[in-house]
Amino acid sequence: MRRARLLFVLLLLVLVGSLPAQADSPYTTWTLGPGGYFFPVQDAYTPLDQIDLPVSGPEDLFFAPDGFLYVADTGNGRILRLNPRFEVDAEFGVGILSSPTGLFVDADGTIYVADAGENQIVILDANGQLVNAFGRPDEPLFGANRQFLPRKIAVDPRGNLYVVSEGSVNGLVMLNTDGGFIGYFGANSAEMSLQMILQRLILTEEQLDQFILNEAASPTNLAIDDQSLVYTVTAGTAPDRSIRKFTIAGSNLMERARGSRDFRDIHVSADGLMTAIDAGGTLYEYDLDGTLLFLFGALDTGDQRLGLLSYPTAVERSGDTLYVLDRDKNAIVTYGVTEFARTVHDGVRLYMEGFYEEARPYFDDVLEYNGLVIMAYQGLADAAYDARDYQTALDLYRYAADRDGYSQAFWELRNDVLQRYLGTGLAAIVITWGAWGIFGRLERRRRWLDPVRRGFAAFRRIRLVDDFLFMFRFIRRPADSFYYIKTNERGSLHFALLLFVWIVVVRILTVYLTSFIFNPITTVWEIDLASEITTLLLPLGLWIFSNYLVATISDGEGSLRHVVIGTAYSLFPYALFTLPLTLLSNVLTLNEVFLFTFGNQIILAWCGIMLFIMVKEIHNYSVSETIRVIVFTLFTMAVLSLAAYILYVLFNQLFEFVQSIIQESGLRA
Amino acid sequence: MPDRSARFLGRSLVLLIAAAALLPAGLTAALPASQAETEEAVPEGYVLTAENDPFELHVDATTLAFKLRDRRSGYLWHSGLDQPLEEDDLNTSWQAFARSGVSIEYLDARGVNRRVSIANSEHTMETEAIENGIAARITFTDYGISLGLRLTLDDYGVRVEVPFEGITEENPEFRLGRIYLYPFLGAARGSSIDGYMLVPDGTGSLILFADSSRADNMFYGRYYGQDLGMLGVEPYDPFIDTPDSISMPVFGMAHTDAESAYLSVVTKGAGYGEVQVHPAAVITNFNFLFHAFVYNEPYFQATNRSGAGVTVLQDQPNAFDVEVQYRFLTGDNANYVGMANALREVLSASGSLTQADFSNPDIPTRVEFLGGDKEPVLFWQQFVTMTTFPQMRDILGQLALPNPDVIVYGWQPYGATSVPPTSLAVEGALGTLDDLRALADDIAAQGGHFSLYLDPQAALWNEPGYNARTDLAMAITNVTIEAFNRSVMHFFTLDALRSRFQSLAASVAGQPNIRLALDGIGYRLFSDHRSRPPFSREAAIAAYRDLLAQAPVPVAFYRPNDYLLGFARAYYDMPLGDNAYVFTSESVPFLPIVLSGSVPYFGEALNFSSNLQEDLLRHVEYGIYPSYFLTQEPTSRMLNTQSSWIYTSSIAQWGESIRSTYAWMNALLGPVRGQRIIAHTMLADGIAATTYADGSQILVNYTDRPFEHRGVRVEPRDAALVEAES
Repeated sequence: MRRARLLFVLLLLVLVGSLPAQADSPYTTWTLGPGGYFFPVQDAYTPLDQIDLPVSGPEDLFFAPDGFLYVADTGNGRILRLNPRFEVDAEFGVGILSSPTGLFVDADGTIYVADAGENQIVILDANGQLVNAFGRPDEPLFGANRQFLPRKIAVDPRGNLYVVSEGSVNGLVMLNTDGGFIGYFGANSAEMSLQMILQRLILTEEQLDQFILNEAASPTNLAIDDQSLVYTVTAGTAPDRSIRKFTIAGSNLMERARGSRDFRDIHVSADGLMTAIDAGGTLYEYDLDGTLLFLFGALDTGDQRLGLLSYPTAVERSGDTLYVLDRDKNAIVTYGVTEFARTVHDGVRLYMEGFYEEARPYFDDVLEYNGLVIMAYQGLADAAYDARDYQTALDLYRYAADRDGYSQAFWELRNDVLQRYLGTGLAAIVITWGAWGIFGRLERRRRWLDPVRRGFAAFRRIRLVDDFLFMFRFIRRPADSFYYIKTNERGSLHFALLLFVWIVVVRILTVYLTSFIFNPITTVWEIDLASEITTLLLPLGLWIFSNYLVATISDGEGSLRHVVIGTAYSLFPYALFTLPLTLLSNVLTLNEVFLFTFGNQIILAWCGIMLFIMVKEIHNYSVSETIRVIVFTLFTMAVLSLAAYILYVLFNQLFEFVQSIIQESGLRA
Repeated sequence: MPDRSARFLGRSLVLLIAAAALLPAGLTAALPASQAETEEAVPEGYVLTAENDPFELHVDATTLAFKLRDRRSGYLWHSGLDQPLEEDDLNTSWQAFARSGVSIEYLDARGVNRRVSIANSEHTMETEAIENGIAARITFTDYGISLGLRLTLDDYGVRVEVPFEGITEENPEFRLGRIYLYPFLGAARGSSIDGYMLVPDGTGSLILFADSSRADNMFYGRYYGQDLGMLGVEPYDPFIDTPDSISMPVFGMAHTDAESAYLSVVTKGAGYGEVQVHPAAVITNFNFLFHAFVYNEPYFQATNRSGAGVTVLQDQPNAFDVEVQYRFLTGDNANYVGMANALREVLSASGSLTQADFSNPDIPTRVEFLGGDKEPVLFWQQFVTMTTFPQMRDILGQLALPNPDVIVYGWQPYGATSVPPTSLAVEGALGTLDDLRALADDIAAQGGHFSLYLDPQAALWNEPGYNARTDLAMAITNVTIEAFNRSVMHFFTLDALRSRFQSLAASVAGQPNIRLALDGIGYRLFSDHRSRPPFSREAAIAAYRDLLAQAPVPVAFYRPNDYLLGFARAYYDMPLGDNAYVFTSESVPFLPIVLSGSVPYFGEALNFSSNLQEDLLRHVEYGIYPSYFLTQEPTSRMLNTQSSWIYTSSIAQWGESIRSTYAWMNALLGPVRGQRIIAHTMLADGIAATTYADGSQILVNYTDRPFEHRGVRVEPRDAALVEAES
């Protein structure tokens, strides 16, 4: 067998050596770039050839350990073995198989077939002789009402068969080679949505019965890697959770992998790469952690260019070539790896094994090809961190949008700075404190700063300055201070408006100045300033307006002016403390994340409390009345928004209607 | 491993390598001579209408079909199929289509189309003999559609003309959709004879005659690309890389057994012409290809914003004359190189192929600098400098290229994705006009050329600098035409384009040594429906030619179509092959052969190549000069601009590669600079040989093993120059 494999590899070399140059590709290749967006990149694979096969509607392809390609010729009820020149070398299962849709060949050459026509598993030996065939397991554990509809199959080195049974909500069916049922494996979870929860709360049993059962989707296809880990892809689930990688115990290791809604097949190759293909003819290539490396391929909408697919059903990868089986074309389309992708793969392979320093030259090369490949920055950042070059690591983590890594590198840098300057820093603080104490004592006697005090008192009398200082009174005596607003003693409309403007400015500044570690925004083009300002000012405006309306009809004593000024001053925690907190975030790491989030939550809660007190004091309500008025205010805000939305939709419809009448009459005239 | 199996492996490897090396793959451009045995007789019904030294033209006046006797070889060309055979399986409609010289497609009021031919439709035909040919007037009486046709013989072959004034549509219920001219000229049944069809796809593509084909459908190509004036918005699929539009309205057919071939060129009316190529086993068992011309098209007019609407026909038919030349070739010229030479003759005759200056012994390199682009900051835009003018001089000094063809992209205020001003003004952060002048002078002193990048048609979307209400071209559906080329754009109307271009060109002419590198206008052709009657594609061709004839500065183009080729000092973005349709057999350097020795042609920027060595070998094989994008700063600075698609460009990354690649390529292509390519062959699988006028040959080895030819050894994945024997 090894000899044959060697011969095959040598033959392939000869053939590849004499093939004409790879064709230009008809598709654009994309990679994950900064911010999690997709960016165009050089081609990772270019189409090599389309090999027509004497098959009908083939559903599966398998690249066996002996170096031969096996094709499940579904329409003709047989399995074909192809030699390296893609000529039919042997056929198996004629007369035994009905519609084979799933195929697996182990190291001995034993062929395992999932036959959809007979709904059974057929095992053939390397010469095509029937070894065993079995259908639905008898064991009660299988489930009395469950059907057995085998479509795809994979076998691990210990001889356990994993079968994708169509419609199986419990996951893969595990069998042994005698057809005995071992158990279910790798079920998906059913997804709940808010709509479903509400339905369950509100509707009756009979009404619920009429809905389609919310069952877990059954896996579409599966693969086993050389460490016997099972991978499944499931069509119809959330695109990011479609690929799952299971441990022996059946728990899912794959957190998140940017994927597709309608994967058809997945292949895991020995060199640490995962390839999946979806119904749109798009190929996805990942590393074993689920990081998306490349995305390319499309359906042939009549173009008929080499490399576009009609109905892909299976993908296999061997060495530098991808093989895609196309059911409608009755052909295998092959793609060859480019120099660029080879560099990426080499780098990724070393990186996955932990050899960061050895991977570094490959990633440097990758960045020369394309400065947008996130994976390369990630690899280089980890290498720099390992090599204790924290400043470089920091910059690279920023490009790679890796907040954890950035935080760790920052911690190291900060630690370094602290260690160097902490001693002197503390000393400086103690001395300053001591000096300030002495100065204070002396000053109380000698009154040196009296002219400053007089100047300050005069300054205080300027109205706006007084309003500003009035803000600080709210910290200790909020109820009182609102009363002063009501009696027009302190606080002015001008200052309130200025405060609103300042709040908008603070919001914009936080978007830009928050440290990368805590900032949900990664790239500059995610920032939409217009919408930030609108989402800030619109609710405030609605609140003020609604509160005044509701208070007016609920015997509230405050006028609109008081509500405006009161609301402005209620937001003083945000105005005063958010900017310092934002600036502080630039010296924090993820270890101190609680400081940042807690700080923000306190500010928001404080604003909420102040608003509550404002409503109570300005309108002179009791506590229960205040609660009631606030609830009504919120309700009014919702109703006003809804009314505005409905009006918008109606006017839109009217406008469209009039416009289309004009256009049609123009045409018909 | 045991001895016997090692020997067995060794032997089989040797056998395989020998087989691979000896099997000729693809077509050779110069076949050994083989005489036609007996001449085929002209059938009954064909009257000798005209003759000259090389040809005899026999015409059947009832169907307008003709037979052409090529006296040089005695070969008889058939314009159609007189009698189908049993196995042909053609229905009556296809038989009529094959027999008739002209067929039309008519449209009914709802836009449904049907095809009829002279032979299967009620018609009246008036013919009269004219000098060297025949003129005919055909009226399809059932549909009230008439057209006039002139078929004449000249020194190169046959000329077919359909003047627009001869076309009438009497019956308002039926409109003329398309005219098909001589669809079965030279058609070959399956693989009964050896030969191929040349398709104008990319640099050129061949479809060998065969009995079966992988094609599901015919190949269809609209000359000069789809008309955005009918479409409105250019369709965009992020996953698909749309093929470039057809730039030369030609196709060819070769019957290699008989050493005969022809090239067909549309000399008038290509703006509304299209080519349809049918390999055998797609609908019929014949290999044939032909031109069709579009007079009326249905289009979808949306009547409300959610997309509902009606299918409507154009008001007026497209007004254009049609003239098609069929140039017949024989002997050594009966192949795609001969076809390329025939096209050269046609282009030279119309002044579309001029001779560039090749006096510099070193090959040129195109270096496209990105000056800079703008990124959004808070509420406004900020310019990001990528390369200043002084930095460009430094970079060119570092690279020390002897013949640089430099283009600056993003010279205008606010950089690459802003609308250029109407008089020369540069972005301040890049330098002053004096810096620009110094750069241009520097390059001229080095023997190179310096251009500013300009897309005269582009009215960039959402940018200030033009009047969106009056300056933009509209489609027939009343939407502003929108497309994408480096960024999203609308199109200027001809008036706006003309005034802007003329004022900018005049301003640039005021600076010595500066040319303009024009993108877009070379290959984009659209009809503008802002005015009634609409400004047709043919009128646009004439207007662009006029405009560029009066240009006060030299211009070079990105992928120019044939009508602007005469003004091109250089051809940029030459493709590296065809678009790999599954039913084509190989890609051939038809377009490079046409341009060789006349216009220097450069490939697309090598920064984006995924297989650099393969692409470089293809450059050497086709005689394409290298191109690069370059900047001083690295890509990451451009991340937030619209030019982030240039994902690798800094001199630090590319400097070394450019120097070594240039040295290698100059050694190969330098000695053959300015010469015509006279032959192109595949010596073996993966070994290509390109022969130049003085007999030198460039050998390119795509395989992993060395190759020897004429005493020269070519290393794997390398190329070599075999000097001419003097």
